[in-house]
Amino acid sequence: MAAEKSSIKIITLIAADGSVFEVEPNIVKEMKTVQSYIDELDQNTVSIPLPNVFGNDLAMIIEYCKKHASEEETKEAKEEFDFEFVKRMKSDDKLRLLQAASYLNMESFLQFMAKAIAAEIENQSVEFVRDYFQIESDFTPEEEAELRKENEWAFK
Amino acid sequence: MYGYDMADSNEESMILEKMKRGRHSENENEENEEGEDRLSDLPDCIILHILSFLNTKHAVRTCVLSTKWKHLWKRIPTLKLQSLIFSPRKHFSLFVSKILTLRDSSTALHALDLDLYCHGGIEPQLLKKILNYVCSHNNHLQELGIRVSGDSNLIMNCVSSCRALTSLKLSIRSGGSFNFENLLFPKSLNLPALTNLDLTRFTFCGGENSLVEPFSAFIKLRSLVISGCNVRDAQTLRISSETLVNLTMLDDSTGVDKMELCAPSLCTFTYSGMPTEKICGSGLSSVKQVYIDARIYTTCEKPPMTLLSWLLDLANVKSLTVTSTTLQTLSLVPDLLEVKLLSLCNLKSMEIKLKLPEVQPGFLYILKEAMLEKAAAKSRKEAAKLRREFKAGLQPHPVPDGMVDFLLQNSPSAKVDITTVYNMSVC
Repeated sequence: MAAEKSSIKIITLIAADGSVFEVEPNIVKEMKTVQSYIDELDQNTVSIPLPNVFGNDLAMIIEYCKKHASEEETKEAKEEFDFEFVKRMKSDDKLRLLQAASYLNMESFLQFMAKAIAAEIENQSVEFVRDYFQIESDFTPEEEAELRKENEWAFK
Repeated sequence: MYGYDMADSNEESMILEKMKRGRHSENENEENEEGEDRLSDLPDCIILHILSFLNTKHAVRTCVLSTKWKHLWKRIPTLKLQSLIFSPRKHFSLFVSKILTLRDSSTALHALDLDLYCHGGIEPQLLKKILNYVCSHNNHLQELGIRVSGDSNLIMNCVSSCRALTSLKLSIRSGGSFNFENLLFPKSLNLPALTNLDLTRFTFCGGENSLVEPFSAFIKLRSLVISGCNVRDAQTLRISSETLVNLTMLDDSTGVDKMELCAPSLCTFTYSGMPTEKICGSGLSSVKQVYIDARIYTTCEKPPMTLLSWLLDLANVKSLTVTSTTLQTLSLVPDLLEVKLLSLCNLKSMEIKLKLPEVQPGFLYILKEAMLEKAAAKSRKEAAKLRREFKAGLQPHPVPDGMVDFLLQNSPSAKVDITTVYNMSVC
């Protein structure tokens, strides 16, 4: 497999808004959706459209991949990067990136985003979580009260 | 060359079609059509992913968010049960019973995190109930963490039945809160898929040749943490692994003279405790990142000399982190600054962690005694002078003179950071 890939020098990713990113093959290794198409093709350069990911998000994902693919960086430096990476994101960004990660089939990045989102809703009230994710409840107040009663062992 | 026009070729428009669908095409029918919620329009499997990081108590509470969420928690592949967040304790028993009966039994259990440390231990019946559930759902169980005071036989039997485990973290206190004896680590534990092992307060018992090799059955081990563990009936602890990348020894009290380390892939080494074990075998030569928090509990030459021998072994280290007590311990080596290091040649960065409150009084006392002894070896006058200075309030310096230059003698351009830590925990 390694021999096949070595012929590809550069990969062009085209985001939903048309923005273009040229990356080295090791950057997309983590993106299994992309990687599986590269493996099927037999070319020196590949252009891959990603109609479900916007340019801004793709730029962040690539930044993350570059940092984590680097062998120069220490574990501590990568952890610090992750910390800052999450810190500068709003909850909207996290959810969009989570979806992108799911679409690109990036296991560890998906894990990373899911964990970051979980950290935000951990120990929060139901109302907070509903608000936070803009979930519209389809329960009547009575139905909700009933559910709470039914599961009161989790609300103590 | 990179110009892209999708009308150009059929193949490319085919790729576009494929890429549009992505990996979740198979779930398309399941997704709700409204898609107006930020989170709810994610496929169930992604939501379950997020929920799997939550404490199970909070995960269950999402059942009242909306209809879509009502039964979702039953399909979470992980359980995180912490008795501490329940008060009184009987609430926890009820919670566990409910979870174990209501959880969708066809959903594989991938991870279980059990934190049952509490005053007076856990009810034996409750522990039994949980362990029985684990044993009957152990086919896909990959991650298991147990922190509990309870029947250790029951727990270890359960652990050994989980053959798919990749990660195991154990801290067991058997026989009530006042039993401080370590638990014997079973020799028969065979978990072929295990990559991460984290053991707190276990005893490794030696064999006939005064050598103990507790981890040889874990052929895929990548990360090993042993915390407050000791060795019985052996002088040598052998860790031999082709795959081991991270080794952590905390509150080291193995008590062995020698550690045979044959781990050619070892990359990080983290240590806290009093170094007494000489490291041989391939040793620390492959290690790139090192953290050492050494201290001494008795006045003797061995720990400082052992520490020095470790440093001499660090041929390829790039990042070295040491605490102030490590440097103070090292400074007790006679004529240290004259030692010519052949190691530490590729150091990129060194971090010194100053611990506050500075050091424990016991350590300070030992340090002063050792310094006095060293001074006395030179002349009686010098010792008397030092004694007077200590009386007047002189404290041993957290970074002894010449220490930074000594460590950087072969890597003068390495970056040096000095940071302050306010507790004693690692990193």
